[in-house]
Amino acid sequence: MKKVLAFILVAILGYFMITGLMTAQEFSTYGNVNLDEKISRNFIDKDVNGKSDEIIYGQTSNPETGSANYVTSIIANYRIFDTLGEVTVLFVSALGVSLLFGKNTKKYNFYESNFILKTASKMIFGLILVVGIYIFVHGHLTPGGGFPGGAMIASSILLMYLADNEFKANINKFKQAESLSGSLILVIGLLGIVTSGYFFYNFLPTGTVGETFSAGIIPIIYTLIGLKVGSELSGVIYNFMLEGGEQ
Amino acid sequence: MNLQILLIAIPLLLAFLSLLLKKQSNNLLLVAGVMNVAFLTIIQKGTTVIGGFQPPFGITLVVDNYSFMALVVLNILFLTTILMSRNSIEEYGSVLLVAMAGLNGMILTGDIFNLFVFLEITSITAYILASKNNNYKNAFHYLVIGTLGSGLFLFGIALLYGMFGTLNMHDLSIRIADVDSAVIVLPTFMIFIGLAVESKLMPFSSWVKGVLGNADDIVAPLIAGSYAATSLFVFGRLFSQVLVIDSSLKILLLTITVVTLVLGEFAAFSKSKIKEILLFSSIGQAGLVATLFVSGLVLPAVLQLINNVFSKVVLFTITGKIAKDTDTDEIAELRGIFADHKIIGVSFTIASLSLLGLPLFFGFYSKINVMFGLFSLNIYLIPALILFSTIIEGAYFIRMLLNLWNTGEEGEKSKLEYKTDKIVSFSKYKKIGVLVISIVIVLMGIFPSLLLDNLYGDKTLLNENNPEYIFEIKGGM
Amino acid sequence: MIQYFSIILMLIGIFGLLIDRNILKLIVSLNVFEIGLNLFIVSIGFVNNGIAPILTANNSSSNLNFVDPLPQALVLTSIVIGLGITSLGLAFARKIYKEYNTFDLNEMGGNN
Repeated sequence: MKKVLAFILVAILGYFMITGLMTAQEFSTYGNVNLDEKISRNFIDKDVNGKSDEIIYGQTSNPETGSANYVTSIIANYRIFDTLGEVTVLFVSALGVSLLFGKNTKKYNFYESNFILKTASKMIFGLILVVGIYIFVHGHLTPGGGFPGGAMIASSILLMYLADNEFKANINKFKQAESLSGSLILVIGLLGIVTSGYFFYNFLPTGTVGETFSAGIIPIIYTLIGLKVGSELSGVIYNFMLEGGEQ
Repeated sequence: MNLQILLIAIPLLLAFLSLLLKKQSNNLLLVAGVMNVAFLTIIQKGTTVIGGFQPPFGITLVVDNYSFMALVVLNILFLTTILMSRNSIEEYGSVLLVAMAGLNGMILTGDIFNLFVFLEITSITAYILASKNNNYKNAFHYLVIGTLGSGLFLFGIALLYGMFGTLNMHDLSIRIADVDSAVIVLPTFMIFIGLAVESKLMPFSSWVKGVLGNADDIVAPLIAGSYAATSLFVFGRLFSQVLVIDSSLKILLLTITVVTLVLGEFAAFSKSKIKEILLFSSIGQAGLVATLFVSGLVLPAVLQLINNVFSKVVLFTITGKIAKDTDTDEIAELRGIFADHKIIGVSFTIASLSLLGLPLFFGFYSKINVMFGLFSLNIYLIPALILFSTIIEGAYFIRMLLNLWNTGEEGEKSKLEYKTDKIVSFSKYKKIGVLVISIVIVLMGIFPSLLLDNLYGDKTLLNENNPEYIFEIKGGM
Repeated sequence: MIQYFSIILMLIGIFGLLIDRNILKLIVSLNVFEIGLNLFIVSIGFVNNGIAPILTANNSSSNLNFVDPLPQALVLTSIVIGLGITSLGLAFARKIYKEYNTFDLNEMGGNN
């Protein structure tokens, strides 16, 4: 009986949503999006604050954000306040998990693995770490950025925990890294107020589009975000492996 | 001009640093609270642009009359709650710092996706606070319903972007005013559901009983005071400026909110635990404020909202401490408890009489404004329902107060042997705090213009013909 | 077409939330709902015959036909928020198991 009621409710909601989507006149249909009517036109032409010419890879110097990856320029420069909020969401979730499991002390031991697994995982650990660092350092040139890079670092730590029961990572160092990188992100933002009056103003020169050292503060912010996310998720994984010690 | 960003950035910075300095996190929390209230005395009205990118491409923070009043209410209530119940914070200081940043951000922001992100920050801190004292099952229920609501909110934002191509609230309000209001029926309904979960409107408020019914003396006044104030202020901002509707959807939304009002008050009448009575009264009052916002009466709604949250902070703090010390909040077991604590009892009485709307208290002024506002729109059904629910409110509040003061059966002389033998002790911070808030309620009731003139110069809060956003849209899109 | 498919995914997630009584299945339904939502948001930005919004040595001018980069930025934020909520939900689930020794809401009694 309950299933029938739920199905009817979901069917009504679905009918409402789909007909609302099909009959809305203003909503551009799939694929027929005209970018000139949306604010993304100015993001792509990088002329939010004033008119500028066509941006060419490898030639234009000192454009508005300097990043070759348009999505990165939106996340880390135009709408950086949203990114700050996103970093805070991860921070407070990791804080909640550590508050819930903080009183546990004993680490859970997995099934004892053999010699080949332990050695091979040590080799792969280094590779995954390097790939993760590459992804967040080159966030302004290739797809990716701070968040996937940080998740890769955390997954390499997870690999080591699963493969080897004697692997001990220093969790206090992770907490210090997380706290310091978070505070540094905010300090960079406040430095923007000091130098030119706007929060998170891009005060470093933005270089040529396509070079590694370009785009002002964007690579610095993405590196800090990558380190923060990596250490946060490693802390969450470690907290889930603790048990005992309560009541 | 940059003080607006410091209201958010300083609590956030202190929250990040409090991981390193775990033992000082409660002191950092007090520092942040005091600094926020101090900033509010010198803040100026205007907009702050973030990153130097002009709106509607960048994100802006807006302080006009409406958000200034919201900021004052929120920060003062937050600081008072923390000061009154300092011993209950335990290790949740960092979470409260992030909550402060998130609540301020929700009110200040001028961009609708940024509002979603701050709504998520605030909701996650609410889930963590709700799970204090091993209340995990109800906190999980809150998490599931809250995430569903925020997901539908994001769906509405995506539809608005697909239709109008911008995410800035001022820009959206200009573009929506140009089209027929039947176009935005679906996004408005989705955004309404998203905000209704957090604002405790009726079909989505099943989490309130579990969370507020088991909360102690710091979580309950926060969720029923600061969080409720913020989500209703945001509701008012969105529904009276951005998503102005005048079609059949308005009738549907009004039905939902009016049903919330009536059913909430009825449910409160039938309960016998103090916390449950108070939380259903909160649900009913949220329905009343939402009705006024959807009908377009902003000033009466704000006055009613301020009255509600100030009283609820007092009532929930006292009840939370009683429940924490005596492990119960049934009225039958707590008869005559105020006979030993006169200051607390007087504050409790003042707060509940102000909720009813008796003359001499602020509730009277706000209810008169509500009635006149509704009559001026020629709506007669809703004032009748409001009067009816006020009668029910009066019945259960007076019954509760009589039982808590008197030590005998109704109609008999007080006998000392019926008095409860539970012992409660209130710290001096609590006594000073609730007494100060009660005095403020009485003062605002007798001299309401004193408060309102100091908060904003002219008497208009949101003037539809001349919105107070003070910036210009970059021309030629 | 893909927009209707993603709405159907969202509806399957909501249906699961109303029906399921096991806590872990509730978390999975929540994730299905979020996947459908993220897919819908990305599909808003699609332009016919558009290319990925990155300047490379091959696509080196800014006058080419790019897809809309703004919904992709919104979805990145939304995915991370979903991750945070899932981790918190799983922590709650483990604490509930420790108290009631079951994951089934019907066996726990009480009000839900």
